[in-house]
Amino acid sequence: MDGPSSAMNPNPNPTASKFLEGLPSRGLFSSNVPSSNPGGMRVYICDHDTSPPEDQLIKTNQMNILIRSLKLKKHKGEASSKDAKVMAVNDGLRKRAAEKAPDGRAPAKRPLSNSQSSSRQEGTKSRGADRDFQTLTVERLRALLKEKGLSLRGKKASIICSVRCLEDELIARLRGVNG
Amino acid sequence: MSVWNYVVTAHKPTNVTHSCVGNFTGPQELNLIVAKCTRIEIHLLTAQGLQPMLDVPIYGRIATLELFRPHGETQDLLFIATERYKFCVLQWDAEAAEVITRAMGDVSDRIGRPTDNGQIGIIDPDCRLIGLHLYDGLFKVIPFDNKGQLKEAFNIRLEELQVLDIKFLYGCPKPTIVVLYQDNKDARHVKSYEVVLKDKDFLEASLSQNNLDNGADLLIPVPQPLCGVLIIGEETIVYVNASTFKAIPIRPSITRAYGRVDADGSRYLLGDHNGLLHLLVITHDKEKVTGLKIELLGETSIASTISYLDNAVVYVGSSYGDSQLVKLNLQPDAKGSYVEVVERYVNLGPIVDFCVVDLERQGQGQVVTCSGAYKDGSLRIVRNGIGINEQASVELQGIKGMWSLRSSTDDPFDTFLVVSFISETRILAMNIEDELEETEIEGFCPQVQTLFCHDAVYNQLVQVTSSSVRLVSSISREMLDEWHAQSGFSINVATANLTQVLVATGGGHLVYLEIGDRKLTEVKHAQLEFDISCLDINPIGENPNYSHLAAVGMWTDISVRIFSLPDLNLITKEHLGGEIIPRSVLLCSFEGISYLLCALGDGHLLNFLLSMNTGELTDRKKVSLGTQPITLRTFTSKNTTHVFAASDRPTVIYSSNKKLLYSNVNLKEVSHMCPFNTAAFPDSLAIAKEGELTIGTIDDIQKLHIRSIPLGEHARRICHQEQSRTFAICSLKYNPSSTEDSEMHFIRLLDDQTFDFISTYPLDQYEYGCSILSCSFSDDSNVYYCVGTAYVMPEENEPTKGRILVFIVEDGKLQLIAEKETKGAVYSLNAFNGKLLAAINQKIQLYKWMLRDDGSRELQSECGHHGHILALYVQTRGDFIVVGDLMKSISLLIYKHEEGAIEERARDYNANWMSAVEILDDDIYLGAENNFNLFTVRKNSDGATDEERGRLEVVGEYHLGEFVNRFRHGSLVMRLPDSDVGQIPTVIFGTVNGVIGVIASLPSDQYVFLDKLQTNLRRVIKGVGGLSHEQWRSFYNEKKTVDAKNFLDGDLIESFLDLSRSKMDEIAKAMSVPAEELMKRVEELTRLH
Repeated sequence: MDGPSSAMNPNPNPTASKFLEGLPSRGLFSSNVPSSNPGGMRVYICDHDTSPPEDQLIKTNQMNILIRSLKLKKHKGEASSKDAKVMAVNDGLRKRAAEKAPDGRAPAKRPLSNSQSSSRQEGTKSRGADRDFQTLTVERLRALLKEKGLSLRGKKASIICSVRCLEDELIARLRGVNG
Repeated sequence: MSVWNYVVTAHKPTNVTHSCVGNFTGPQELNLIVAKCTRIEIHLLTAQGLQPMLDVPIYGRIATLELFRPHGETQDLLFIATERYKFCVLQWDAEAAEVITRAMGDVSDRIGRPTDNGQIGIIDPDCRLIGLHLYDGLFKVIPFDNKGQLKEAFNIRLEELQVLDIKFLYGCPKPTIVVLYQDNKDARHVKSYEVVLKDKDFLEASLSQNNLDNGADLLIPVPQPLCGVLIIGEETIVYVNASTFKAIPIRPSITRAYGRVDADGSRYLLGDHNGLLHLLVITHDKEKVTGLKIELLGETSIASTISYLDNAVVYVGSSYGDSQLVKLNLQPDAKGSYVEVVERYVNLGPIVDFCVVDLERQGQGQVVTCSGAYKDGSLRIVRNGIGINEQASVELQGIKGMWSLRSSTDDPFDTFLVVSFISETRILAMNIEDELEETEIEGFCPQVQTLFCHDAVYNQLVQVTSSSVRLVSSISREMLDEWHAQSGFSINVATANLTQVLVATGGGHLVYLEIGDRKLTEVKHAQLEFDISCLDINPIGENPNYSHLAAVGMWTDISVRIFSLPDLNLITKEHLGGEIIPRSVLLCSFEGISYLLCALGDGHLLNFLLSMNTGELTDRKKVSLGTQPITLRTFTSKNTTHVFAASDRPTVIYSSNKKLLYSNVNLKEVSHMCPFNTAAFPDSLAIAKEGELTIGTIDDIQKLHIRSIPLGEHARRICHQEQSRTFAICSLKYNPSSTEDSEMHFIRLLDDQTFDFISTYPLDQYEYGCSILSCSFSDDSNVYYCVGTAYVMPEENEPTKGRILVFIVEDGKLQLIAEKETKGAVYSLNAFNGKLLAAINQKIQLYKWMLRDDGSRELQSECGHHGHILALYVQTRGDFIVVGDLMKSISLLIYKHEEGAIEERARDYNANWMSAVEILDDDIYLGAENNFNLFTVRKNSDGATDEERGRLEVVGEYHLGEFVNRFRHGSLVMRLPDSDVGQIPTVIFGTVNGVIGVIASLPSDQYVFLDKLQTNLRRVIKGVGGLSHEQWRSFYNEKKTVDAKNFLDGDLIESFLDLSRSKMDEIAKAMSVPAEELMKRVEELTRLH
């Protein structure tokens, strides 16, 4: 390559010739007479089975991202100590909330096959649900627990249990929104 | 027309959207793969150049195209994602020569806002995952397992909502994306994330750069060993990696495409919005980047994709002009350009407007399109059939036959042209000055009509007259031998090749002679029961000089027979049926398949497949070419043999995809044709027609012929005026050299033969030409061009001022006759009841053409109709006005003469954003909208209530997959009154991708039949990559997806003819219709375009 050398000897009048040297070649296009054969294109007719191998029909995991991350964290948490888990859950929620907040709006939820009016309804519903998620700071979480009449104090284990209950409700709510 | 419509492509998409290079068809084969929106083309790179291999239709609009190689594979796989959220991974099976589906899937999400900046699909360089950005705020990951198989996809939340580009970085232990995005203050930044597959989440990575160039739009990841990323802006190019930051200023330009030159990523080609090609060089010391350099190389078409092929040859794919193959030269040419265009690939896209005209007044439509954009704008004349370009012609009456002869057997070129008349034979030859002059061949008999002539071996020539066969030396030109017909029997027909002569004399005698050195030998004689009408012994077997078969057409029993040579044994007899005798037979071979063509006295042509071993005739097919007797001749163009059928409607017969195709020629009443391949005029033809002899060359043999008229500016509207034989266009010229973006708008007048600009009317600053029309008014015999304009002010959302200009063509000049100011943009103009109907912003306005006291004329407003968002497209029929609205679909208005008012009659209440409308018949209107769908609506005059009558009922829906800019009534083919398809009304459409398509309205029974055929074909012809045809053609917009109805996919139906015989039989069985019958019906449809 001429790169380093050109960097070392800056030419006051650089021309492109220098940079066009040594273009990669594998010996193709070497003949001077380019063949033009526009008629040679065969139209492909596909008369064999084109369905993919069974396990290669790819689908998207439909689980909501929030729930997935909660689940993953929970799963991880179960492996570690209980103390760490509470922290993880709380941290996770806080982090998510913080990430969501700057967006300033709910992700558009648009079921494909529904009519416009119903999608508008769903929109309001989803906005309601989103508000719950967005404000899921620890304080709000506590407030939610309070609303549900659950104890805010007590042993750590009981908090975990409360958070789990809340999670289940969140899942249920999200299903209601999406389904 | 009717509700049952058949949609077929006459010209395939040519807009190149993507391209990539890799080893797709084999580990050792390097391929260029080009995406043309709904098709991919596979080319092979060879030492001689690009060799086209395969044209693969895809049931979707290709959004992303990438080649990649999972671990353990020896060749690349192709990843395609479509705009309707399907993806597939394709692999080439070299043994079966098939594209097989490795994986496919649906990557749509039920929720999510589709991205504004287009879909992104990228593959990790280490093949760990595929990344897709389809919805704002979501990044979809399809991971690979370690065997290269895909696993379940999942979404990751991406904080950046306005993403401009995402790429994978090279040389990262974990797959890492770099994201170029715009924040809510419109500043642009780059961030990077590692994809943590285990957590299904992002982890912020170290590479980032804030506050980039405000025009930064493109990321180029740099491969190992350098790694990092290039950020291409409008004024700067920046290189960033974890530790280095380098930037250079560039001349302001928008980079549209890039192509990597070196595998190590030290050089890149950049193509900008003006079509300038730059070389970007990363200077480095093999580990660390020391600087960037950019050099201007030259100009190409405005690139949408650039692929470096090999050996300094680069493929430049374009959406706005012809795609090109360019060579980068080490030394600049006289203009300082390093770029040499080696080959151009025609692109009609974007077709902004077009008109259907019959320039040659032959009863056949031609389409003249406004194609291309910016500097690559052009007019294209698209014609079905093959053109003969006249080189010379002489007046010669009464030509009865023509043959070309060579001066020696080895001479590659023809020298003599033998022209036979009723009582004499004249010989023309090329002299030293390349002029055709009369000469003599002493051994020929000039006083009688020649029946046949041919070159023969040993530098000899053969002339057959009614009394004898003469063998003449082509060197000394003296007669060497002569064979006389039996006395009392004159020779009626004769044929010959290099070594054989076959003559038929009266009384059904068939005599076979062989040509030796200075000697003619009568080898065999046969007596047939009837007289012979035509003969052929064109050698199509292994020996190019000798035929083992002779074809003989008979009087009386109307049959065609195959005899063996030299023993003249009858092998096959095929009765033709009917009462029309065969006038010309021809043995020929196309693409390795042997045929017998047999032309009848009434303009019909029969073709048979001919078995060379057994002489059997199979697969009889009959087509109608004209109404007069046909003479058949072979000729060669570009090393391929074709057949010319001379008649009142001359036709070229050729073969493509092992199918015989018939293309009409732009001549009338050709009585004889013979190839006349001289050194001065290679591949020429001598043509006898209507009292003259013409020497001409022939266009490329293809179905559609396209002539380009480069304008160097962007034509947006076109209109033809028959009376002045001119075209008028609205065009705009960009001026890239000035610092402010200045564009000038013009009305230009063009000659309809030469396409030269003959007059120009410049529009005001900020004034755009929006519509153009050629029309006349009541009480005025003149024909005018009317032009509607808009003043597009930078500060206004919608134009509030425009003009209607009325021009007359006088002495080849545009003369402004009248001018009327309007309160908005004049989007459409129509001639309407001797008045002018204009669509001005949200209003439909009718103008009268009034004579003032001083004798001048003016447009006077008569009445109008409000109530549209923007009335963009208007068509009229009688008193009815059909309006295509920006976003309120189609509405139907009526003009009431007595009241002098326009009222709304009905409307379609769907919210379609229209791109074109057309009236099919009194009740049915056709629309195209911006989600690439077609639909038809029907007026419901019989409705019981006002509410019902006021509603246009949607009767047909179809996903075309193309953005239609214009519909026009008309046809690309000559309408023969005797054929069935001649009665089918058609509409032509033009699209952004350069597609010219035809919509044909079918009778109900034919629709039902073809619908059944389409259903059966779907079971046999599968979508490449497992994509479903039914889903692809289903009407689809943001609100609904419904199955196509009352539209048929002609492309699918016509691919029936490309199927193998066994598959055809399978379908025929399912349809309970004979395969021949199916073939005939489908072949008839192919003659609609």
